[in-house]
Amino acid sequence: MTLLARARNRDRLVAISVFMALILGWQLLSYAFPQEIVPGVPMVPGWQIVFTTTLKSLSLYWPGGWGFGSVAAGEEQSYFYAFLAIVYHSGATFLRLSVGFICGGLVGLILGLAISWSPWGRRLVNLPIQFMRVLPLLALIPLFQIWFGLSFVGEATFVAYAVGAIVFAAVVNAVGNVQLVFIENARTFGANRWYLYRTVILPAILPEMEAAVLLALGASWGAVLGAEFLGAQSGLGYILVFSRDYGYLDRMFLIALLVVLYATFSYWLAMTVFARINRWNKVAR
Amino acid sequence: MPTSSHALEAINVSRKYTRRDGSQIHALTDVNISIQEGEFVCIVGPSGCGKSTLLQLCAGLDSPTHGSIRTKGTPVSGPGPDRGVVFQKDSVFPWMSVLHNVEYGLRCRGVSATEREKVAKHYLHRVGLTDVVNAWPRELSGGMLKRVAIASVFANGSDVLLLDEPFGALDYVTRHKIHDVLLELWNESDRAKRTVLFVTHDVDEALTLADRILVMRGGKVVDNLRIEHQRPRNDEALAEPSMIAIKLTLLEHLGIGHAHRFLEGVKQ
Amino acid sequence: MFGISKERRLDHAGLTTRVIQPIRKILLRMRFDPLSIAGLILMIGGWFALLPVTPRSALPTPWGVMDAIVQKFWFHKTFAFYGLIDTGFFSALVYTTQNVLIAVLVGGAIGIVTGLIAARSSLVRAALDPIVLTLGTIPIIIAAPFLLLWLGGNRASAICTVGFYVAVILYTYAQRAVDNLNPTYEAAARTFGASRRSVLYDVLLPGTLPEILGGIRIALAGAWGLEAIVELLASQRRIGKLIRSITTASDIESLFAALLLLALTAAVFDAIVAVLFARITRWRLRPESN
Repeated sequence: MTLLARARNRDRLVAISVFMALILGWQLLSYAFPQEIVPGVPMVPGWQIVFTTTLKSLSLYWPGGWGFGSVAAGEEQSYFYAFLAIVYHSGATFLRLSVGFICGGLVGLILGLAISWSPWGRRLVNLPIQFMRVLPLLALIPLFQIWFGLSFVGEATFVAYAVGAIVFAAVVNAVGNVQLVFIENARTFGANRWYLYRTVILPAILPEMEAAVLLALGASWGAVLGAEFLGAQSGLGYILVFSRDYGYLDRMFLIALLVVLYATFSYWLAMTVFARINRWNKVAR
Repeated sequence: MPTSSHALEAINVSRKYTRRDGSQIHALTDVNISIQEGEFVCIVGPSGCGKSTLLQLCAGLDSPTHGSIRTKGTPVSGPGPDRGVVFQKDSVFPWMSVLHNVEYGLRCRGVSATEREKVAKHYLHRVGLTDVVNAWPRELSGGMLKRVAIASVFANGSDVLLLDEPFGALDYVTRHKIHDVLLELWNESDRAKRTVLFVTHDVDEALTLADRILVMRGGKVVDNLRIEHQRPRNDEALAEPSMIAIKLTLLEHLGIGHAHRFLEGVKQ
Repeated sequence: MFGISKERRLDHAGLTTRVIQPIRKILLRMRFDPLSIAGLILMIGGWFALLPVTPRSALPTPWGVMDAIVQKFWFHKTFAFYGLIDTGFFSALVYTTQNVLIAVLVGGAIGIVTGLIAARSSLVRAALDPIVLTLGTIPIIIAAPFLLLWLGGNRASAICTVGFYVAVILYTYAQRAVDNLNPTYEAAARTFGASRRSVLYDVLLPGTLPEILGGIRIALAGAWGLEAIVELLASQRRIGKLIRSITTASDIESLFAALLLLALTAAVFDAIVAVLFARITRWRLRPESN
């Protein structure tokens, strides 16, 4: 085995052992801190609890429907109802997230391209963008709450704002970074403005947009959960805040694991899509 | 409107820039040139003499402070497919394949897919890049990318070609080869010869390529040398007394002073 | 178009030379960009423009907000009525600012040092990267409730939570900065006979400084948001609780006031940091763009 391969293997081994250590560490902590905040619910729930009692307890959140009764109405807690509950609430969160992400992304993209049409446009929006950058996103939740009340539109709009602000700023910046020689070259071939946008500007900004999209993705997860915290009647954030108010740390933990899983998957998906789109990119990895 | 036979002319062209502190840069002062159709003209000059600025004005990527640039009698008002440009920097679009890059100008003008693929492949063949027709630009070397740029401009059918120190970044051998490629394309038998304006600081390059060499210095045209020699001009041709005389004249213009003494000796 | 400077755009009427250029000369001497200011004015103008078409319960008037700021800045009886420890915007802002600055300083230092070490030691890197890439990517809105419940919802736990995320950001930045540094510099230093210590102090540290300082600025901007979340979620005090009480009372003017003050504070610090860092790295090369 070559020296390089051996080093890589060692690194991989270390990485895996650290991961295992984290999992083990959690379990040890659960033995070290057996105190309970609420009777029957330890502060640090070990894995054996998380995947049995906690999982089953999630069936409490299944509101009923689709031909199946709800636990509140008298059905027994079970893995099946827990599964239904997870599907239902995850779906609610996904819906808010995706609608908000797509709307916000499109609006941010279109506005960003429109503003970049002229160099004056870019300088004009410079300060407003700086202002939006320092305004903490989640501090705006109460504002959206007053404006939209507790509704799907309100939650999705909040996500859209978070995504749109990031995408807008990134597009404006990226268009400014397109190399002049490409624009001049296209013009000497007789490309008009629309054609220039389609064939030069858009492809040229894609590499930079990848970083922005990943950032927006992270922000949108935070945004959707934050919005659900403040009063939604469904979704993963709803379960989180409901459990927290009653001290069910174990349920919070399980939902948190789920969210981390979903978020990681969405990052992976976004990166794969961009890898495909950016096949031409010069940056070798 | 009187149409003239001049493919490209600059009439009393001046170009001034203003620095941050308010002082002026006179990049070009009262420049007059006229280039006939089918001529291959090189502009030679030291750094900062304004040759690139003049080319930018001819391309329509910039406009003069005074005077005007005309092509076939009509004033230039912007870039366009009638004046193709090969840039100094890498201008091949990295997000399009080689073939799509060469087709680009034709796509802009709405030429049909089959027709433009035919034309593009024809020119790629003539520059020797048939093997990499579907490759990505990042997979190509610097010399190959320059050939793609040249093929793109020729494929677009421009009557006037403007080249701004295009081969500066290439090594000696590649540059030799690409000179042959350029001259061969220029010498196409199936159409009228295109007009070429080629900016360079390399004296040997100008001597190899040009019908006429314009020398610029300090924003003005200071000399106009005709080269009668037959092409292709190999190293032996460049060593002939008449060529050496021209070369020494050029070097003197460029400020390499001790050539003066040699010039006296050769002129006898 | 697309940032091609005015000099290079087409100018048929001589407008550029006769009118715009002389004006530009004066403004360049004044060293600020009139268009940026115009953008700010446009934003404020937009606020005024929206006033007649929105209900007062959704969009307060600028003077209503100014009024709220002025009245509630130091002390206001309504806040005391809510049972808040802070009786005015000012004390709440001071608390929040202190938390943010401490978290950025401490978390930043830890992140930068570990990042630099990790860049040069693959063992450290292999150990820390997985932790950073798993724990560090948990959205704070998930982690914060836990951390606050475990560590108690006091000031130290808030600072630790925010500090952790700041450390994660700067760890990544520092590593990337070292990786991006042109290896020629280090090689050149070695050919001059530089010791390892000299390479670190004279090459690595200054060379990575611009990128790391940029990371600090970004972490600072993010830290305001992180602190806001932590306070919103758990606080019995400060801007978070303040905002929540205001929301319950549907006092939109005070809400706008609170948010504006928060944003302004963050903007002021961001500007200070930007100017400071630009001065420190006056020598840096700028990449070419259009």
